[in-house]
Amino acid sequence: MLIEDHIRKNKLDTVIICMFMIILLFSVIFAIGYAFGVPPVFATAIGLPIALAYIMITYSFSVQSVISAAGARPANPQNRDEKILMYKVEEMAIAAGLPTPQVYVQDSKDINAFATGKKPEEAIICATTGAIQQLNKEELEGVIGHEMSHIRNRDILVMTVTVGVVGAIALLCEIALRALFWGGGSRGEKRGGGSPILIVVLILSIILAPIFSRLTYFAISRRREYLADADGAYLTRNPEGLAQALEKIKADFPDDPKGSKTVAPLYISNPFKRALRDSIWSTHPPLDERIKRLRSM
Amino acid sequence: MWLWILLIVVIIVVFFLLIYWGFYNRIIRSENRIDNAWAQIDVQLKRRADLIPNLMETVKGYMTHERETLQNVTNARAAIMSAKTPQESINADNMLTGALKTLFAVAENYPTLKANENFMQLQDELTHTEDKIAYSRQHYNDSVLSFNNTIEVFPGNIFARRMGKKTRDMLQIPEASKEVPKVSF
Repeated sequence: MLIEDHIRKNKLDTVIICMFMIILLFSVIFAIGYAFGVPPVFATAIGLPIALAYIMITYSFSVQSVISAAGARPANPQNRDEKILMYKVEEMAIAAGLPTPQVYVQDSKDINAFATGKKPEEAIICATTGAIQQLNKEELEGVIGHEMSHIRNRDILVMTVTVGVVGAIALLCEIALRALFWGGGSRGEKRGGGSPILIVVLILSIILAPIFSRLTYFAISRRREYLADADGAYLTRNPEGLAQALEKIKADFPDDPKGSKTVAPLYISNPFKRALRDSIWSTHPPLDERIKRLRSM
Repeated sequence: MWLWILLIVVIIVVFFLLIYWGFYNRIIRSENRIDNAWAQIDVQLKRRADLIPNLMETVKGYMTHERETLQNVTNARAAIMSAKTPQESINADNMLTGALKTLFAVAENYPTLKANENFMQLQDELTHTEDKIAYSRQHYNDSVLSFNNTIEVFPGNIFARRMGKKTRDMLQIPEASKEVPKVSF
């Protein structure tokens, strides 16, 4: 496959998965409404504002909190290695046609990097000192290209909103379950009671929905990761640089995970959990698979 | 009855207007992006040219026997400053890239120059601007590609014809720049 085909395929996948997420949210609202004998329109009128409020709260996180969670500091242009990092960020911003993000450095031996900021205009790219010291110019360029693609694809926005939806679904289900255990029974009798099987199915789905929504979140995250790999390779026109950087990350063992879990999907590789095997519970696809795909471009 | 027909006609017209609006903006936007991308290249070219006198000043004291090498760099810089079309600028820039490559290769023979702090910084900065030029050129070509795709693929081609838009040319990289600089002793 050409890089362009990878990009198109991953974008389409994200759209499909996001639609699934929205369907899931509405199903939850309707199911809860049904369990309480409330018509769908009414259930939406109550459930949707709660969900939206939750999403807004997640969305309003500040860039500064992400930076301080990672313990990062602005890059120092006096240091030659950090100056080269700044150069690379500027070059990739030019290649992507974006304003140059601010450059931060996190003091850590691990090889890692992340991007944050909801808009490209206020974006930040942060690399660890481990990455700056252990990666050569081409590898560093590959990593920065990947992060720049996260910014260009607005993945920070996509992932925060997704986290918000996951949280909203969990919250709604929690409220519904509590309410059902308090007064659900008596209300059901007054209504003449639906079939008990139906009620059991409803309760089960309210319990399972949060799990499904989390799995969907992971699936979206992995798609965005592949997409950023492909887009990053398109920016540098050199997939091998990023592939080699990922090889180095694979060989390197993380020892001091620091940072905010909300932005874990925006790291080049998850700082909290190394993805070696394929798992539906991980934010990142396995490194071997990413390297394989990059080398096939 | 024909109130319904009227309603349907209005809906269809509004629908087409909306599509036209969307494509109009998309075409204009991607055309502006090309111009902006060109401006980017131009800024980088000028910045690089501005670094040259500084480099010459630093190098002059050390490289007394390399008049031809130095002259090539100065000529290439002058060509950038006087270039009028994008392609001319790019050609001149490729000359400069070649001349600088030779200069840096020759500099290997001057240990004291190589150790000069100022020279090292200039060398880093010049390599960086060279990379920036390469990437802004790439971005320019990407923008041209996306513009050409928009106005050539259906249904964009219909609107583009109405707006009188024509495909743009990508920047070509001349053969000369692919040569390895020769260093004679």
